[in-house]
Amino acid sequence: MNAFDRRTFIKALAAASGASILSIPNAHAAKTRARVVVVGGGYGGATAAKYLRLLDASIDVTLIERETRYTSCPLSNEVISGEREIKTLQVGYKGLLKHGVKVVHDEVTEVDPAKKIVTTAGGKHFAYDALVLSPGVDFNYAAVEGYSEQLAQTKLPHAWKAGPQTLLLKKQLQAMPDGGKFIIAVPKGPFRCPPGPYERAAQVALYCKYHGKKKAKVLILDANDSFSKKPLFEQAWKELYGYGPDGMIEWTSAANDGAVTRVDAESMTCFTGFGDHKGDVINLIPPHHAGKVAKNLGLATFKDKWCEVKPESMESTKQKDIYVIGDACVGGELATNNAFPKSAHMAMTQAKVVVANLIAKFNGLPPPVPVYTNTCYSVVAPDWGFSVVHLYRVENGQWVYIKAGSGISPVTFGTKEAPLPVPRIYRKLEAEYADGWLRNVLADAFA
Amino acid sequence: MRKGAMAVALFWAAGSAMAAMDIEVLARTCNNCHGVGGISAGTSMPSIGGLPRDYLKNVMKQWKYDERGAATMNRIVKGFSDDEIDALATHFSKKRWVPVPQKTTAALMKKGKSVTFENCEDCHGAKGDDPDEDAPMINGQWAKYMTLELEKYRDDGFKMPHRKMKKNTRKLKQADIPAAAHFFGAQGQ
Repeated sequence: MNAFDRRTFIKALAAASGASILSIPNAHAAKTRARVVVVGGGYGGATAAKYLRLLDASIDVTLIERETRYTSCPLSNEVISGEREIKTLQVGYKGLLKHGVKVVHDEVTEVDPAKKIVTTAGGKHFAYDALVLSPGVDFNYAAVEGYSEQLAQTKLPHAWKAGPQTLLLKKQLQAMPDGGKFIIAVPKGPFRCPPGPYERAAQVALYCKYHGKKKAKVLILDANDSFSKKPLFEQAWKELYGYGPDGMIEWTSAANDGAVTRVDAESMTCFTGFGDHKGDVINLIPPHHAGKVAKNLGLATFKDKWCEVKPESMESTKQKDIYVIGDACVGGELATNNAFPKSAHMAMTQAKVVVANLIAKFNGLPPPVPVYTNTCYSVVAPDWGFSVVHLYRVENGQWVYIKAGSGISPVTFGTKEAPLPVPRIYRKLEAEYADGWLRNVLADAFA
Repeated sequence: MRKGAMAVALFWAAGSAMAAMDIEVLARTCNNCHGVGGISAGTSMPSIGGLPRDYLKNVMKQWKYDERGAATMNRIVKGFSDDEIDALATHFSKKRWVPVPQKTTAALMKKGKSVTFENCEDCHGAKGDDPDEDAPMINGQWAKYMTLELEKYRDDGFKMPHRKMKKNTRKLKQADIPAAAHFFGAQGQ
């Protein structure tokens, strides 16, 4: 945003409140600069830090993130199949420095919400007026008997955080013999990236189909009875790879004893309630919950896993001046099963809601009306993609899922009675858009 | 949209200062895929900042009312009121059009020039930088995006309302499409 846009924005804020335009910047400058600490440098945290500075350069913004380089989870399934180089998913924090964000590579060890101070492992202290937590998820290895963090890093990768495990899983797939079995174990929802496991199944099948493993099997053992974009995935699996007991991809729902409760790394076996499944590769995605920074603060009040926040601002319902965004939070229209999906796009629009809210707050102006959007592409072959979009508004202090502005790509055209196939150009376009989306969200958050 | 929200949207559109600010908030969600200021960083997605207001408005409304096909955007815009669409079109049309740099060579440009024809120039300008109010500038638009758009115009399975564009794009040979798109895309150099 250029200087003109910023001026327009502040002017609009001022006019909306009936305050004098001229008094705003001065009143703000007279005080000490507002300090915002952002914890977590993924899509959500990076967007929050960048946009705070873009829209009001008087705000002091510190981003605390362990790693010096971020690897995008979205489209990382394409790395497993070899369709994409992992470096196309990686970005550093130089872009944020350019916006005047102070980037600190450290780990948060303590937050004192009363004194409003964040402490890091490096022994640094950061005082804040507002704290934005975008910690992502942490994994509950203990929920699956026989599983551990150590096994995830060596023999049984979850690759549910993109990086070394993504590459490990790719290596395991390449080493799998023809006729081998690749198991993807899916935890009970809600989990990060709702369509992710099913896109992964397609990417694994894609690799097998074109790399001399036509007799391979991709078995999805699911702790759920349905999944995101199901009719679109099933259509594509069937047409591209074969689906069902005789196809390359097979899905076992929770009702059909799909939930994995135990794993034995020695014999490479997944155990469900009544059965056992031996795999040549076991991609075990454990249940997860809000990142420990948020959880340790007692903010994960929803099922003891996710952080509840206020619809108009994303402020924690538990702690004043602490905002929780991204995969760690829970929001949306829960009563109708239209919760916020845990996606990068969602995290970014949540970050933008926090930013608009904080800027209004620091300038003593009424909060703006938020809007939340999501766009999520899945790529099942280089020329076959599809998406889901979501729109949420806030009415009377509640999230409202706007059905008219939400939904998946068409499964068929024509009528219900006489369905027609969707022309392939639609699938091709969305596969191409997935790549455009990736480059744009990386730029919007980090550049 | 619910009746309540519609009433509120109409109230804002009446010209209060809130309207300007909430359109900023809404427009910022567009940035995810179209870039800050509407300058796209993804080759398959268009830059929209600085495009003519009528063009932006027409396209979004045609998607909303199913008069024009789209793979994704038609679903997204259905959640926006007509007033929001108008305001978004105005918002992005006021941005500066920034041609995105795209790699090219003299040979590629020569080939591109040879396959474009005066019908392109009539509405978009010789270099794609002088459009009519209902046509977009295409100088420095992403070549990849334009290639995909041209394929949409040429595909019978795609509902595209612009008869002239449909007719003209079908005069191109399939193999020449990327070159034509590249010719205008690389004008930003």
